[in-house]
Amino acid sequence: MSLTRPALGGTGTLVRFALRRDRIRLPVWIVVGAALVAEQSLGSQALYDTPAALAAYRATVGTSAAAIAFSGPPVGLTTVAGAVAFEISGSVMIVAALMAMFTTGRHSRADEEAGRTELVRSTEVGRHAPLVAAVAVSALACVALALAIGGVATLTGLPARGSFLLGAGVGACGLVFTGVTAAAAQLSESTRAAYGITGAVLGVAFLLRAVGDINGSGLVWASPIGWAQAVHPFSDDRWWPLLLCIGAAGALLAVAVALLDHRDLGAGLLSGRPGAPTAGRLLASPLGLAVRLQRAALLAWAVSLAVLGAVYGGMGDAVEGLFKNNPNAQAFFPGASAAGLVEAYLATIFSIDALLAAAFAVSSVLRARSEESAGRAEPVLATATSRTAWLRSHVAVALLGSALLVVASGAATALVRAAAIGDAGSFGRLFAASLAYVPAVWVLAGVAVAAVGALPRAAAALAWGMVGYVVIVTVFGPGLNWPGWVNDLSPFSWTPLVPVESWTAVAAVGLTAAVVALLAVGFGAFRRRDLSTG
Amino acid sequence: MSVAISVTGLVKTFGPTRALDGLDLEVATGEVHGFLGPNGSGKSTTIRVLLGLLRPDSGAVRLLDGDPWDDAVALHRRLAYVPGDVTLWPQLTGGEAIDLLGRLRGGIDPARRSELLDRFDLDPTKKSRSYSKGNRQKVALVAALASDAELLILDEPTSGLDPLMEAVFQEYIREVRAQGRTVLLSSHILAEAEALCDRVSIIRHGRTVQSGSLDELRHLTRTSIAVETARPVTGLESLSGVHDAARSNGQVRFDVDTDQLDSVLRHLTGFGVRSLRSAPPTLEELFLRHYGDELAEDGVPVPALDRP
Repeated sequence: MSLTRPALGGTGTLVRFALRRDRIRLPVWIVVGAALVAEQSLGSQALYDTPAALAAYRATVGTSAAAIAFSGPPVGLTTVAGAVAFEISGSVMIVAALMAMFTTGRHSRADEEAGRTELVRSTEVGRHAPLVAAVAVSALACVALALAIGGVATLTGLPARGSFLLGAGVGACGLVFTGVTAAAAQLSESTRAAYGITGAVLGVAFLLRAVGDINGSGLVWASPIGWAQAVHPFSDDRWWPLLLCIGAAGALLAVAVALLDHRDLGAGLLSGRPGAPTAGRLLASPLGLAVRLQRAALLAWAVSLAVLGAVYGGMGDAVEGLFKNNPNAQAFFPGASAAGLVEAYLATIFSIDALLAAAFAVSSVLRARSEESAGRAEPVLATATSRTAWLRSHVAVALLGSALLVVASGAATALVRAAAIGDAGSFGRLFAASLAYVPAVWVLAGVAVAAVGALPRAAAALAWGMVGYVVIVTVFGPGLNWPGWVNDLSPFSWTPLVPVESWTAVAAVGLTAAVVALLAVGFGAFRRRDLSTG
Repeated sequence: MSVAISVTGLVKTFGPTRALDGLDLEVATGEVHGFLGPNGSGKSTTIRVLLGLLRPDSGAVRLLDGDPWDDAVALHRRLAYVPGDVTLWPQLTGGEAIDLLGRLRGGIDPARRSELLDRFDLDPTKKSRSYSKGNRQKVALVAALASDAELLILDEPTSGLDPLMEAVFQEYIREVRAQGRTVLLSSHILAEAEALCDRVSIIRHGRTVQSGSLDELRHLTRTSIAVETARPVTGLESLSGVHDAARSNGQVRFDVDTDQLDSVLRHLTGFGVRSLRSAPPTLEELFLRHYGDELAEDGVPVPALDRP
């Protein structure tokens, strides 16, 4: 069946309603995407302010397989604007794809899974309306992101034509993943599975274009990210690759609608396979439950951070070459000396890996709070499970899991770097250096635990607010003249910049003491307070 | 008589809301005790205090001779709980959830588990996200009934079950009582309480308004009489205990306070009784007596208690 008026009844109302529900979320996505481009534009224009600096950049980063794998096709690097597009387009396209995935999924399968679609469809709303409305909202967000990127890139001094083409490429990539999510949402009855399918498509698309860009083959044309980057902003300025994205998005939407017509409300085309009729040995303790609930997420984080760590490690050579030819770059890496430029780079990488691990730790601790507010803690705490044992299980997963992430990314970086310079001995030194951040990561987990215990309703806002604060201080702090206490409030500021600086037991002990104190506050408060649902 | 649950003067406030306002509750060991009240009257809050999930503001609470807050873990080994609104882990199957809850309580009887799954017609291989409300409730019920806990605390356990499953549920509760175990059954389904409960406590606005066996409570209420007589009945309205008398086609219908039944019947026989039907008060009537004024205040018409 095709799209007909009665099947689309109520679409406009649903679009307005969805825009109202997302009035905070969508602007945040768009601002983040535009800010990434603005920051890159300003940063690159400051760094590569001479033709010599740009030439050095071209000769090093522009020929580094790792940099190309991470970013995109090395075209247009004769201008700073081209360098900006090379550096940022890949990352911001992933942001657009994720925005599209979460927006489309939230208003289609998530509503259906929660039973809201059933209620909506019982009113004067057509069968296709909820899906088409979700796609329309996501498409509007992609267009807005495209215009925002074009606008800020132009405002930061890049050519307007290329700026808006860059934005259009990003938006077009978002459109494709709007279509992918719409189709994936028809396949499974679970929102998480729909996100899993879409995420896998995104991963494969990124991989195909990375391989294609490295060996210059046509493989990039098998990837929607490859199409979106084929506009080559600021150099070839081609519009036509956008048509591939728009065509694919339209075709995927048609597929999604056709699939929708062949299934019942609430069902998926891939019917859920029957699961285990009895519980395995793992599900016999609160810790077993916490591990079971979080192991899939932890595994995905570990694989992602290990891949990221390997890519960062592989970029060491390019960094070395770049810095030798561009003294301005040294300003970006605090504590850099002529001999230790790569070490300074690695120190920064280790802190970024640690921030990602901290994000996992906080989300993992907050899992305890969401179990509580959803009413799933109640039946467990009504068994012979003490509150301490219950909370301890989630905290254990958060602390050990985040440490595992630091190990995975640090080991990957150290391994690839040691292999690149042919010095097996450096592996142990670099790997040990990456572990220096574990206490700082745990402090952030501790803040989340204290918040869950003492201020449960504000816990998510407090914990993520602290992560945001630490990210800002760690990433931008060294370049800004803030008062000392602003830096001192971040646990990351107390961690030495290993391997440039040397590890100190004092800092590690102090941070660990802070972790213990925060955990004591959280557990003490949680034992004394009412369980709160909703 | 030993006491399984003893609550006196329980107060619990949430900000400005006084959810429990001096509630009393006493449940004897071995009885099925109905805990009745409309939505929002404080049943679930009381149960959460009994489980040590909420800390009382004041009042004395004893559960199986322990303190529900301080001795929570030890007490929970001896009880099983079915929440009013069962939420499960979407990625776990029903069978996994049953085993998990059973093991956390201290073990589960596999034979009884499979019998319960069979009787409740529950597929344990389905992921919890695809269960209906009734099936989620069955998961919690199977986990609770498969245990050998000496106390079952059930918060509106049948609100999502169909009548067939409700009959199965009642059968198991009778079995539990026959084994000498104790059940606290919160409900607003009166037929269920009438069918199962030895005693009931009726609460409203966080306070116990009445408590006792159904027989005891019936003394406090009225019997409906419909009578046909040879000669027209006179002087009925002047008798004490007679309410809402109405005449039609030679028949008189009225309600009478149960303790005045004898004198009213003596009065009637003087007019030549041809037929007489009487009906004992149902729990509905007990309820309407306690909430009828509230409904009337809210402008809801209170149905007349007339039955054939």
